[in-house]
Amino acid sequence: MTVMSMLVDHPVSSKKDRSGDHLRIIYDQAPRQDDNADMMKGDNDSVRFGNVVLPHLGDAYTLARWITGNRADAEDVVQDACLRAFRSIRNFSDGSARAWVLTIVRHTAYTWLRKNRPTVLVGVEDIESVEHAQAVLASPDAETPETALIAKTDAARLEAAISALPAPFRETLVLRDVQGLDYREIAAVTGVPIGTVMSRLARGRTRLIANIGRKEP
Amino acid sequence: MTAATTPEDSTLLLHAYLDGELDPANALAIERRMALDPVLAAEYKRVEALQRLVRERLPHETPSSGLRAQIEASVGMKQPRAQPSWRALAASIVVTAMVASGATWIVNGPEAQDVIGDAVVAGHIRSLMASQPVDVISSDQHTVKPWFNGRIPEAPRVVDLAKQEFPLVGGRLDVVGRKPVPTLVYRYRKHLISLTAVPAAGFAASAPALRTTDGYNMLRWAENGVAYWAISDLSAGDLGGFAQLFRSATPEGSNGGSGEKPGTMPSMRN
Repeated sequence: MTVMSMLVDHPVSSKKDRSGDHLRIIYDQAPRQDDNADMMKGDNDSVRFGNVVLPHLGDAYTLARWITGNRADAEDVVQDACLRAFRSIRNFSDGSARAWVLTIVRHTAYTWLRKNRPTVLVGVEDIESVEHAQAVLASPDAETPETALIAKTDAARLEAAISALPAPFRETLVLRDVQGLDYREIAAVTGVPIGTVMSRLARGRTRLIANIGRKEP
Repeated sequence: MTAATTPEDSTLLLHAYLDGELDPANALAIERRMALDPVLAAEYKRVEALQRLVRERLPHETPSSGLRAQIEASVGMKQPRAQPSWRALAASIVVTAMVASGATWIVNGPEAQDVIGDAVVAGHIRSLMASQPVDVISSDQHTVKPWFNGRIPEAPRVVDLAKQEFPLVGGRLDVVGRKPVPTLVYRYRKHLISLTAVPAAGFAASAPALRTTDGYNMLRWAENGVAYWAISDLSAGDLGGFAQLFRSATPEGSNGGSGEKPGTMPSMRN
């Protein structure tokens, strides 16, 4: 149906182009307009899915990759998440499609981890309470590397240092510094108040800098 | 006056300041505090260095191409293959890729080209008026290309032409036909060249054609499903030279091993 609408919208293209015949092949295979209503609905959902979800596949994968810690798991999560997104595509109204998709991906990722990698996932609440007991700037002089040393860090070490962050800090840092979401979007995706986003970012970055500065094992 | 009085509050504000999330009053307050407090100022430098490190050095990973196909199939975006002739198959990949990427179906007609041309000129002029002509500043193609990933469906082809006197300045997003499209900015001596890549899947390749608008020379050519628009105040000859170099260059710098590794320019954040 998508193809049909494209042809209808842009009749010029099919005539002029060599790709015209290819398009027509698909066109012939596409369900006819008088097909039943279910088919039409399904097609609309597919189109919507293509517009809302697929443009953010890269972001979805990046977040899943950092939450699960590896590529294969991330692809499984993204696939699950896309199915969920597709099923609830009609619930998406206005607002940021990216934040909507990432919210689903995040939720799917933790559900997936709980089910398939229970040892990887430490309870988010536990981390928070442990962290709460510690002062943030407990020892400003210990293990805070110079700016120059930070700048020289290679990709592998940086990646390892980010991976070593507890999940709540890691996801917040990734959403902000890797994916460029603003605080409001991060709060929406992770389901916490903006104040929590701020403190997680500050603590996550402070820890990350310390991780980077730590001597090689 | 702000409520932030403890060191922890200052730290939170510092991070929010770096993230551009503070209102002017709080931004001013944290600037004042940094000027008085060397510990805070040092932390600012560290966090800024960290952000730049993450932005520029962390490899950008993309999902395998199979993943996208699997997802499209699982939500019924691909037509069932009754008779999987290779032509239909090839076409369905082209089409779903276009649908999937949300790419604009740009009509190849002359009016459409005027519309695109106008948008490209506007993008170029606007960029020259802005405080910087790019959203991501880097002479390293491996920094610029990943920057586009996650912002638009398809990152453009980026090549390194520094040795040919056309160093990469960076990249930005322009809007053509209400869609964000990638623009690369190259420099030749004192002149900037904006190279906008407009998705044009399915259109025949065409050689560079010159047009002149508002004193700018523009070259348009198409290849591999992308219409390239180069615009600059360079002479038509120099711009043509650039187009030729860009088209013949191999992406992903096959000139590995040379000592002249392109460095990244310092961030212009104040």
